[in-house]
Amino acid sequence: MEKILLKNIDKPGSHKLDNYVRNGGYKAFAEALKLKPDNIIQMVKDSGLRGRGGAGFSTGLKWSFIPKDPTIPKYLCCNADEGEPGTYKDRAIIDNDPHLLLEGMMLTCYAIGAANAYIYIRGEFVFGANRLDEAIKEAYAKGYLGKNILGSGFNLDMHIHRGFGAYICGEETALLESIEGYRAQPRKKPPFPALAGLYGKPTVINNVETLACIPAIIEKGPKWFSSIGPEKSPGPKIYGVSGHVKKPGLYELPMGTTLRDLIFNHCGGMLREDRALKAVIPGGVSAPLLTPKDLDTPLDFDSLAAKGSMLGSGAVIVMDESTCMVKAAFITNRFFSHESCGKCTPCRDGTPWLTKVLKRLEHGEGRPGDIDLIESLCGNIFGRTFCPLGDGAVMALRGALKNFREEFQYHIDHKKCMAS
Amino acid sequence: MATIKINGKEITVEDNTLILDAARKAGYEIPTFCYQADLMGIGSCRMCLVEIEGQRKLQPSCITPVLHGMSINTDSSTVASARAGVLEFLLANHALDCPVCDKGGECELQDMVHKYGPRTGRHAEPKFKFHEKDYVLSQVIIKNSNRCVQCMKCVRVCREVVGRNVLGALGRGDHQEPTSFNRTFLDCDMDGNCIEVCPVGCFMRLPYRYKSRPWDLKGADTICPYCATGCRMVIEERDGQLLRARAQLGVGLNSETLCARGRFGCDFVNSAERITKPLIRHQAATWAEALASVKDGFSGKEGKHIGGVAAATLTNEELYLFQKLMRTVFGSPNIDSSSRWNSDAASAFIHAASMNEGGVSIFDCMEADTVLIIGSHISDENPVSEYIVRRISSNRRMNLIIASPRAMKLDSSANVKLRHLPAAEKAVLDAITLVINAGKLSEAEKLKAIKDSKMVDLLTAAGVGVDEITDIAKRLSASQSVAIVAGTEFLRFPDGTSGLALLKDVLKNLGKKVTVMPTLDRCNQRGAWEMGVHPSFGPGYATAEKGMDTEALLEAAMRGEIDALYVVGEDIISDYPDREFARTALSKVRFLVVQDIFMSETAKLAHVILPGASFSEKEGMFTNQEGRAQSIRKLLALPGKAKRDLDIIRAVGELFDGSFGPKNAVLVLDEIRQVNPMYSDVSLLFNNKKNSDNRLDNRAALVKCAAGVLPAAGEFASKAVSSRMEEHSFALVTGSHLFHLGRFSRKSETLLGLIKGATVEICEDDAARLGFVSGEKVKVKGKNHEVLATLKTSTGSKSRVAFIPESFEDAEVNRFFRRGEGVPRVSITRANQ
Ligand SMILES: Cc1cc2nc3c(=O)[nH]c(=O)nc-3n(C[C@H](O)[C@H](O)[C@H](O)COP(=O)(O)O)c2cc1C
Ligand code: SF4
Ligand code: SF4
Ligand code: SF4
Ligand code: SF4
Ligand code: FES
Repeated sequence: MEKILLKNIDKPGSHKLDNYVRNGGYKAFAEALKLKPDNIIQMVKDSGLRGRGGAGFSTGLKWSFIPKDPTIPKYLCCNADEGEPGTYKDRAIIDNDPHLLLEGMMLTCYAIGAANAYIYIRGEFVFGANRLDEAIKEAYAKGYLGKNILGSGFNLDMHIHRGFGAYICGEETALLESIEGYRAQPRKKPPFPALAGLYGKPTVINNVETLACIPAIIEKGPKWFSSIGPEKSPGPKIYGVSGHVKKPGLYELPMGTTLRDLIFNHCGGMLREDRALKAVIPGGVSAPLLTPKDLDTPLDFDSLAAKGSMLGSGAVIVMDESTCMVKAAFITNRFFSHESCGKCTPCRDGTPWLTKVLKRLEHGEGRPGDIDLIESLCGNIFGRTFCPLGDGAVMALRGALKNFREEFQYHIDHKKCMAS
Repeated sequence: MATIKINGKEITVEDNTLILDAARKAGYEIPTFCYQADLMGIGSCRMCLVEIEGQRKLQPSCITPVLHGMSINTDSSTVASARAGVLEFLLANHALDCPVCDKGGECELQDMVHKYGPRTGRHAEPKFKFHEKDYVLSQVIIKNSNRCVQCMKCVRVCREVVGRNVLGALGRGDHQEPTSFNRTFLDCDMDGNCIEVCPVGCFMRLPYRYKSRPWDLKGADTICPYCATGCRMVIEERDGQLLRARAQLGVGLNSETLCARGRFGCDFVNSAERITKPLIRHQAATWAEALASVKDGFSGKEGKHIGGVAAATLTNEELYLFQKLMRTVFGSPNIDSSSRWNSDAASAFIHAASMNEGGVSIFDCMEADTVLIIGSHISDENPVSEYIVRRISSNRRMNLIIASPRAMKLDSSANVKLRHLPAAEKAVLDAITLVINAGKLSEAEKLKAIKDSKMVDLLTAAGVGVDEITDIAKRLSASQSVAIVAGTEFLRFPDGTSGLALLKDVLKNLGKKVTVMPTLDRCNQRGAWEMGVHPSFGPGYATAEKGMDTEALLEAAMRGEIDALYVVGEDIISDYPDREFARTALSKVRFLVVQDIFMSETAKLAHVILPGASFSEKEGMFTNQEGRAQSIRKLLALPGKAKRDLDIIRAVGELFDGSFGPKNAVLVLDEIRQVNPMYSDVSLLFNNKKNSDNRLDNRAALVKCAAGVLPAAGEFASKAVSSRMEEHSFALVTGSHLFHLGRFSRKSETLLGLIKGATVEICEDDAARLGFVSGEKVKVKGKNHEVLATLKTSTGSKSRVAFIPESFEDAEVNRFFRRGEGVPRVSITRANQ
């Protein structure tokens, strides 16, 4: 497939505006300024693009919820917090093709009538923040940002907001709180950000990869976009593969590529031929894991949902048979309890409890009844938390327990690991 | 309206009603931790989850509004298991040290676990601990975070209601700790609302620490004895000592909130300085001897040579009987309830604020499109009224305009804050009126009108800009309804009342709904006036033979014309704005009877001292500033030989007329109901009733319209201050302190622990200009007096204004004042200069 999102990242000087323009950049934006904003929203709707940040919500639909009243200020927030373990796709775009993101944001702002856009970037991405800063300066200098852009009368300012090192900052409403200077904790919905978001004003929050799709949609048309991949979740997708494969890395492929194709074709197969595939997490650590029997599942929103998992951020984590699933579950859960924001009781007090139990299991101090306890605690967390983080913790753990229950039991019975 | 089903029962409620409220209405209790009616919902504790038919997940009923046709289950086994699950999680790291926890016995977590919780604990892991020992957060707060249920009510009440933002959360996840910045000492309002809302033993009262268990306390439901907000509270005692005052959720207009004075200042009743026996010439005496002496002193004296001053901290019953005694037994119209302002100012204020038209609810005022607060330092004087204004104004689209010389905490909620010169309320209001009237003119004419010399004079007198005034006028003109909150500055500078009355009329003539709500600084100031403790009107503002007010009485005394003066609860010497004059005059009164609970400066001059009762030792009724009549209840026995004021007043009456009465408080109230039409419906039964539906507005307690019409007020001489001053020169103003009001607070151990010595407050810029820093000792020097005080700086006050609170006896602030001299000028210099 022709690369769309990662087409520039390996080119020398790909982060410079001149090079971006030379490769056809900002053409879509210049063209779009001649269109009505509503046309752009319609094009994005028609393209079938679904958000790449995790939930897979229709991007065009999300934009269309923004009120049209020109007297109300509106905002775009780009979610560049990229905190899901295993995920490193947004960073590639930010570091190496920042203007692709900026152009996507400009188009979005024009479409929804926003005069201000924020990029909420993960605190650790210092290099990326500097790259974006330079790129924004270049864009101002060339008249792509500021007042009366390219003579169109459209005004747009962009701001970078560096995050504070918490996973929850990536949750869209916690992100808004954080930009406003409060503790990053999710807000209740409704009201949804499209009506009352940043500073109480209508706001669109989109992931970096989502926004990076926009220029191509405008340039090549929604039909072209929707012809890539499955009908219900079309377009290109960056899969970020890590773990026990020969060639881990970012792969831009049509949405709906199967796991088998991704691991055994694109990634060159398992790292060690003598170790069989044991489990795959298909979409970041919140996604319940799959096993070799699911290898033919297409990696798209609906197919994975049908399997009880999710595409999430598209971070594929591959584990071979040497992996201890109890340890994997423990580490994953420890991440969630450490990152729990503390707002709601089940996640705040439930996930650390799970972590303590899993830690005991992992260290050979399991007690009879621990598995029942884990299941019961999961039941008291799942569906009762304020935001999806707590649910994610449970889904991941349940996935491991469902497929590898005997390994957990083995840890309790033998005080040691089955895998080693 | 939405019709829904709750546990199969159909109920129709207003749209957007929360499921929780709808369920409560239908008679189903849903447990909560983080929900509180007057705080913004956060839906975080998950205690209130309910099942909604057709929805996959349980939903938090405290933030989910009903939708027509919804079918909700609050009792299913899933709901029950979710509740038990949440409680089990809350207990996982909970300290469970109930035996040593001050909250034990009244802890919501205990109650909840008892009712909904798991019977056994499964958490067999090490517990996370925030700290080993409780730590002190302020002079009134001690904290144990290991018991926290993370409902964030403490943080929210501090931010949303008190407006202080001194609490926040540190850390994340199960390490999240609601506390002060870095757990350091709090610089806060000391109101303890964070303590009150805390469902568990995290935020605790330092003064109450380890003093009692809830079941050892005996309580009485009463009204705060400080300002006229009229907060409902429960005072509690053990072994005859008042140990704490607390507010109750959903009860009174204040619900769970109080200010520092109310919550921590009621311990004055325990003071060892209470007068416990009658004194004749400062020698202990029996009641019979003291009363005989009173009889002697008053016998054969003519009414016009007799006077009576009764404090606005007494009950309506006492005040009513007092004026009856003066008018009918002594034949004296010389009656007053204040020494700080004269009775004409009071009449003019009552007139301008339309107080004779009956009670006005603060909640109604807050429905207005624009609320203008003027002449009231509401943040310090009426803190809980301020909470209500803050809370409601932040939840509604409305204008909040604050006009005041001094900055205040509420400024941060205001759309417009106007800083004018002291005593310039009239100029401000007249200027606004002028611009509103000019609204009918063309643009050119308007410009001309605004530039005309009258306008220029007003702006100069007020020390404000034309744009500020036009902005306010514009907002008022654009409003359908306007509420004006007018405070005690109008009593100090009564020329403002005509400005207030005029603006009110102009707005009314423009077809707007206008309400005026007075804010007052004595718990029963309004009651005192409505009971007729005033030299020109009787109960219900009925016209009465004109007599002398405190000021006129002092003048007469100076001339040697006062034979006998009966003072109840008022300290004229400390309060009259010319201390030396008051002292000299009172020393010339031939027979001075003082009835009080403490040895006041005035009492020191008395021939006979009669020991009265504090609010905690008697029954009766206070009328708050809005005109809500609310009853106080007896909790404690009287100290020593002290008697209830009503009994003393009656006993004095009986000395001259055996049938003087009525004979008890209930009968007095009956008589008040008959005599005073404003109180004809007032009842001891309803006025302390618990409000349903979290509605804090108990309208049945509002007094009705008076029968008579008040005569319009006359004009007053302006006391305006000029803005031109020398380098160190300031205009001195006075009023209430956030922690101290009147004289009771000065006997409160806890409040004295917060601040003892006098402060002088000036704005930051002036301090910087003069090289002063907050906290240093400065010398405040006026023509008549000088004091050393601690400098306090405020952000955003008018330049060249100095504020010294009234209550600090060491400052004797009324010595700065001289009769007829207006606002005093003072200079402020380093203490050692
Ligand atoms: C705990 C949590 C963490 C999240 N982290 C991220 C993130 O790092 N980046 C991101 O784009 N979306 C993240 N999301 C999803 C966002 O809330 C939001 O759905 C997304 O940014 C919307 O953009 P999209 O429609 O373009 O996908 C997270 C959600 C949750 C619940
Ligand atoms: S589930 Fe609750 S505690 Fe966990 S991150 Fe979300 S809001 Fe915070
Ligand atoms: S006492 Fe009042 S101001 Fe101080 S922390 Fe508590 S709520 Fe905030
Ligand atoms: S300290 Fe008390 S009020 Fe504050 S969050 Fe904890 S339990 Fe709630
Ligand atoms: S002093 Fe006023 S505001 Fe404070 S508790 Fe008492 S009545 Fe309420
Ligand atoms: S009371 Fe509803 S979530 Fe806390």
